[in-house]
Amino acid sequence: MAKEGLGLEITELRLGLPGDNNGERLVCGSKKTKRVFSDMMTSSSLDTDGENSVVVSSVDIVAGEVADESSPVAKSQVVGWPPVCCYRRNKKNNKEASKAIGYVKVSMDGVPYLRKVDLGSSQGYNHLATVLENLFGCLGLGVALKEGEKFEYVIIYEDKDGDWMLVGDVPWQMFKESCKRLRIVKRSDATGFGLQRNSSFE
Amino acid sequence: ALAAREKKKEEEEEMNYFPDEVIEHVFDFVTSHKDRNAISLVCKSWFKIERYSRQRVFIGNCYAVNPVRLLRRFPCLKSLTLKGKPHFADFNLVPHEWGGFVQPWIEALARSRVGLEELRLKRMVVTDESLELLSRSFSSFKSLVLVSCEGFTTDGLASIAANCRHLRDLDLQENEIDDHRGQWLSCFPDTCTTLVTLNFACLEGETNLVALERLVARSPNLKSLKLNRAVPLDALARLMACAPQIVDLGVGSYENDPDSESYLKLEAAIKKCTSLRSLSGFLEAAPHCLSAFHPICHNLTSLNLSYAAEINGSHLIKLIQHCKKLQRLWILDSIGDKGLVVVASTCKELQELRVFPSDLLGVGNTAVTEEGLVAISAGCPKLHSILYFCQQMTNAALITVAKNCPNFVRFRLCILEPNKPDHLTSQPLDEGFGAIVQACKNLRRLSLSGLLTDQIFLYIGMFATELEMLSIAFAGDTDKGMLYVLNGCKKMRKLEIRDSPFGDTALLADVNKYETMRSLWMSSCEVTLGGCKRLAQKAPWLNVEIIDENDNNRMEQNGHEESQKVDKLYLYRTVVGTRTDAPPFVSIL
Repeated sequence: MAKEGLGLEITELRLGLPGDNNGERLVCGSKKTKRVFSDMMTSSSLDTDGENSVVVSSVDIVAGEVADESSPVAKSQVVGWPPVCCYRRNKKNNKEASKAIGYVKVSMDGVPYLRKVDLGSSQGYNHLATVLENLFGCLGLGVALKEGEKFEYVIIYEDKDGDWMLVGDVPWQMFKESCKRLRIVKRSDATGFGLQRNSSFE
Repeated sequence: ALAAREKKKEEEEEMNYFPDEVIEHVFDFVTSHKDRNAISLVCKSWFKIERYSRQRVFIGNCYAVNPVRLLRRFPCLKSLTLKGKPHFADFNLVPHEWGGFVQPWIEALARSRVGLEELRLKRMVVTDESLELLSRSFSSFKSLVLVSCEGFTTDGLASIAANCRHLRDLDLQENEIDDHRGQWLSCFPDTCTTLVTLNFACLEGETNLVALERLVARSPNLKSLKLNRAVPLDALARLMACAPQIVDLGVGSYENDPDSESYLKLEAAIKKCTSLRSLSGFLEAAPHCLSAFHPICHNLTSLNLSYAAEINGSHLIKLIQHCKKLQRLWILDSIGDKGLVVVASTCKELQELRVFPSDLLGVGNTAVTEEGLVAISAGCPKLHSILYFCQQMTNAALITVAKNCPNFVRFRLCILEPNKPDHLTSQPLDEGFGAIVQACKNLRRLSLSGLLTDQIFLYIGMFATELEMLSIAFAGDTDKGMLYVLNGCKKMRKLEIRDSPFGDTALLADVNKYETMRSLWMSSCEVTLGGCKRLAQKAPWLNVEIIDENDNNRMEQNGHEESQKVDKLYLYRTVVGTRTDAPPFVSIL
């Protein structure tokens, strides 16, 4: 396992810019071999436990980051480094995962099964309306969003507090972040409430 | 010869100036494991008196001994502490199925009818079956502490809750628990009023708040309560109102900004908790809520905000400014060097500091550097334990730290980028760490990082006379490095090495050294299979384990096995030989 520059020079992964001291540091030194990151990369890729070892074997991902000083790329590629215990790592990963906006359930009165929409990639209320129309084959949901009083259905959502709210009142981003699930209900079931749309966010 | 034997017997009897009962009474005052082990070696009669009176037994490696021998020697044991997997298992370097099963221990203890009252486990595999058996077998069982364990679910907790009538402590720290979202909290019978510690912060699922409130309300002795994510703010206020005597509180989640009424209730409840000394949790926190805790901060001795990723530096600083009596602080590096300066000027009683990385991948702007560490060392004269993750370090800073704080007992520095040199001089950090080991004469635990040559190990061998645990990663140049440590550190107990160029020469130089140590871990080093085999031959009282997940049978097929590098080596002294529960990817030579 020769170590002199082999690992560093021929692979696109670097610990720093070309000619950087950091890069050379691993090269000079004693005669005994020292594991270089490229070696660890190769062996790490055999690691089937992908949960906590972020193995980046694709050159594409690295290419964009080579320009960084003292590249942070190296840190993410070694199993078990930095030595943060997996409980703590998992808590962090879970937090980040749960923050990611993804698919939410949509139910519609009278329809026996639910659907799911990807809020994360949705671009706005109008886009959402179109998606819902396609899902439920129910034309006019877009109209429901815009001119609530006239349409048969009303679209509501459950927010983080567990309250049911009318879709459209708050800015799109705020809605995206707080929406846990959607429901399309018949207007007749929600009588007595002023359903004047807050139209500032159209 | 007869005369010699008679004389010896006389001498032995003379050791006992007092009747056994008196000696036993004296031994009652000797509580530390080390001391008790020492007195048991004085003579045969002391050995006998000590073993019958020993109630608390600590076993640092569950494979060093077995349940039969444990019970044979200590038949009156009441409290057992067991540790399973090696430390590097925390960093995913040990496969899950490696071992460390508690089941055979509980089975043996149950069969022997020993009066077990307390069980403390770390890094062991615990099943629901084990917990059920535990809960049914010991009528006086009082205390269960599980740290970094796995393999069980909330069903197992339900058995403990339901069957342990005198349960005092249920303390679950950083375990991987499968949360079946059941009703384990409701399994505590109404007659259970003895709880002192209830820590379920590591559970992911929903909690039956009604059952929890009722439980807390009927536990007047409850001193430590640590909630999980699922306990929202208004429930917290009610719980604190039920338990104003609380000393140690782990807050769960503050999902949203509370309305003013909830906030006021919380504030009022907090003010009544005049015994509160330790605060942790904040697993999801709206920063503004921290201010509700400001009134009791002046009493706090322990603060753990290391899971509170949402709280930014300025809110942390505002809280810490009130904490003048703090002795222990665990925090994220989002506090920044500036925040650490505030800590240094506020927390003059600080003894232990841990700064964890908030960003495991990139270079965060608010991360801490050598400046924060220097500030802390200058401001906190009582500091003796530190764990510090940082972006960069210099020899000069470490030399200053060593001058400021010669009292370190535990010094663990993790520079996030492996092999990173002194960022000002580009030199290795040998001199800096060398200054630490030379100045800190009581140093018992050391973790190294950054660019390091054999020189640091020379220093460690020369100066670190009290060192018991050493963690090495990406360091050293030749076998000499490891040899300096093995030859110099007489009190070494646990040595763990990864990705360093140490090989067979160092491994085999002094085989008897390993009898004085608990264990040695070497992964991604230069040791070969042949070297390990030779070691195993020379030392039959060692278990030499080769862990190779990639190919279970590679060692048998390959003709050139002698020079084959060993991926993971874990060796430990044992009095009970090869263990029988090893999975296929572990070979015990």
